[in-house]
Amino acid sequence: MLHTTPLLSVRNLYKKFSRDIRYNLYYGAQDLLGDTFGLKTEYLQLRKKEFWTLADINFDLFAGEILGIVGANGSGKTTLMRLIADIYHLEAGTIYGRPEQKITAVFALAAGMQPLFTGRENIYIKGSMYGMGKTEIDAKMAFIKDFSELGGELDRPFGNYSSGMRARLAYAIAIATEPDIFIIDEALAVGDSVFKAKCFDHLKEYVRQPDKAVLFVSNNIRKVLKVATQVLVMKKGRIIYESTDVKAALNHYILNCLDDLDEEQRQRKLRRVQKYDM
Amino acid sequence: MKRLEQSNISTLLTPLHPPRKGSLLYHWRNIFKNIHAYSFFIRQLVRINILRDFKRSYIGLLWLFILPVLSVIIWILLNGAGIVEPGETGIPYPAFVLLSTSIWGFFAELYRSTSRIFTERGNMMIMARFPHEVLVVERILVHLIRFSIPFLVNIVVLLLFGVRFTWLALLFPLTLLPLLILGMAIGLVVSLLRVVAVDIASLADHGINFLMFLTPVVYAPTIGIGWLSEAIRFNPLTYLIGFSRDVLTQGAFYEPAAWGICTALALLFFLFAVRFFVMSEPKVIERLIDN
Repeated sequence: MLHTTPLLSVRNLYKKFSRDIRYNLYYGAQDLLGDTFGLKTEYLQLRKKEFWTLADINFDLFAGEILGIVGANGSGKTTLMRLIADIYHLEAGTIYGRPEQKITAVFALAAGMQPLFTGRENIYIKGSMYGMGKTEIDAKMAFIKDFSELGGELDRPFGNYSSGMRARLAYAIAIATEPDIFIIDEALAVGDSVFKAKCFDHLKEYVRQPDKAVLFVSNNIRKVLKVATQVLVMKKGRIIYESTDVKAALNHYILNCLDDLDEEQRQRKLRRVQKYDM
Repeated sequence: MKRLEQSNISTLLTPLHPPRKGSLLYHWRNIFKNIHAYSFFIRQLVRINILRDFKRSYIGLLWLFILPVLSVIIWILLNGAGIVEPGETGIPYPAFVLLSTSIWGFFAELYRSTSRIFTERGNMMIMARFPHEVLVVERILVHLIRFSIPFLVNIVVLLLFGVRFTWLALLFPLTLLPLLILGMAIGLVVSLLRVVAVDIASLADHGINFLMFLTPVVYAPTIGIGWLSEAIRFNPLTYLIGFSRDVLTQGAFYEPAAWGICTALALLFFLFAVRFFVMSEPKVIERLIDN
C-alpha cells in the first residue's frame, strides 16, 4: 500500500453490555438518573452481570484500505462499527478522524425502506436519511438507477421487489452518499452473486479514489478473501490478530474462533483459504 | 499492520463523537442546525407517516374527514340519549364536548406520539446515524396535520350548533402552543423511560388517560362535586384547555392569570425536558433490545 493518509484511528476503546435484560434496563435507568444529577460512575468498572463487548480496541484505517473484520458471532464486530458510526454512545476510548469526513454505515440493506412506496420514493427516503438533500439525490438519481440495474422497475412498490432487487437498490443508495469511510456490516449477505461480484469490483475501484476506505465486516471467508486488503480478527471483544496478509489472518480466524466446527470442517475451510488465488 | 504514533494522531486527526456538553443555548443552536440540515428527511418522514395508512385504502385521505364526522354523530346520539347534566357549558353540550375533546386530544396525542419515538423508530436509529431531534419534529408536524383537518370539520359543526365566533377566535392556534410544548415535554421524558423503565412509562400512559377525567373536557369547569372540583382547580390543564376553548367559542379569556402561570411552568418544564432528552438520548440507544 502506498497510501499513508490516516482516515481513522481507534484507541483504547471499551464498551460494556449487560448479559441480563432486567439488569441492562436497570443500569440504563441508573445511568440516566446519574447523568441528570451529575453523579459520575466509573465506566471501566464492570457491574454485576456486565461484560466487555469491546475491550482495549486499537487500530488505524488508512486511505485506500479495505479492512476486513472477522470474528465469531457476538465478538463485538457490529458494536465496534456502531461506535465508529456514532450510533452507540462513546464512553471510553477515543475515535480519531477528520471532523468533516462522511461515514456511511450499512448494517441491514433494507433498513428504513418503505414497502408501500415505490423504489424511486425510497431513494428519496433512504437518501435523505443518510443526510442528502433533494438536489443532491436528484443529481445521483442516474447513478443509482444505473448501478442498481432496476431500470423500469423503479416505479414499482419496494415491497414487490425480490430480495436481490432490494439489496441492489439499497446498496446503490448507500454508495451514492460518497462516504469517506464506508462501513459494510454483513450487508452483502443477500443479493445475487452477479451483483455481489459487481459490488466487490466497485469497492476495490472506490478505494482507489483519494481519501476513501472501507470497513468490511463479514464472516464469509470467501468474500473477505475477495476484497480485503488487511484483516482484523476479533474474539470476545478483543482484537486477537491483525495482518496485511489476508490468508494468514483467515487461518488464524479458522483455527481460533470457529470452536463449534469439527476438525474436518476446519481443514476444509483452511484448504479453501490456501488454494484461493488472490 | 502499521500504526500511527500518538503524536501523529493529534496533528493529523481530531477526536470524533465527543460527549455532549455545553450550555442550553449551545444545545438549541445545535438542534436548529440539525433540523435545517435534515429538513428533507423530515419532509420524507412526514410524507410516509401521513400517506402510509392511506396508500392501501380506496378512498385514501378522505378518511381524515370521515372519522371526525363519525365522532360528531356519536356525540350527538349520546346527547340525544340523555347524558347526565354536565354543568353550565355555555354552548350546546355536544359542541362543548366535541371541542374540548379535540383540544384534549391535541395535548394527549402529542404526548403519545413523542413518548413512543424509541419504540417506533428504534429500528431506524440503530441502523443509521442521523440527529434524533428530526424525529421529534416529524411527530409534531404529523400531529399538526392530523389535528387540523378534523378540526376544520369541527368548526363547521360548531357553526351548525349555533356557536358564533369573534375576532379573538383567530388567536386560537396560538393558545394551543402551551399545550403543544407541555405534551411534547412529557412525551420526551417518557420516551427515554419507555426504553429503560417500562413500568414508569406505562404508569405515565395511564396517568395521562386518567388525567382527562380530572380535566373539564366532558363536563364543565363549574361542575360541583366535592373533591373533583378541588382536583380541577389545581390541574394546570383546566386552565390551558379552558383558555383555548373560551377564546374560540366565547371570545373571552378564561382565568388569564392562572393560564399565564401554567404557561410559564410548561415552558420551564419544556426547557428541562429538551435538555434531558438531548443529554441522555445517545445513551439509551444501546439499551434498545426489541428491534
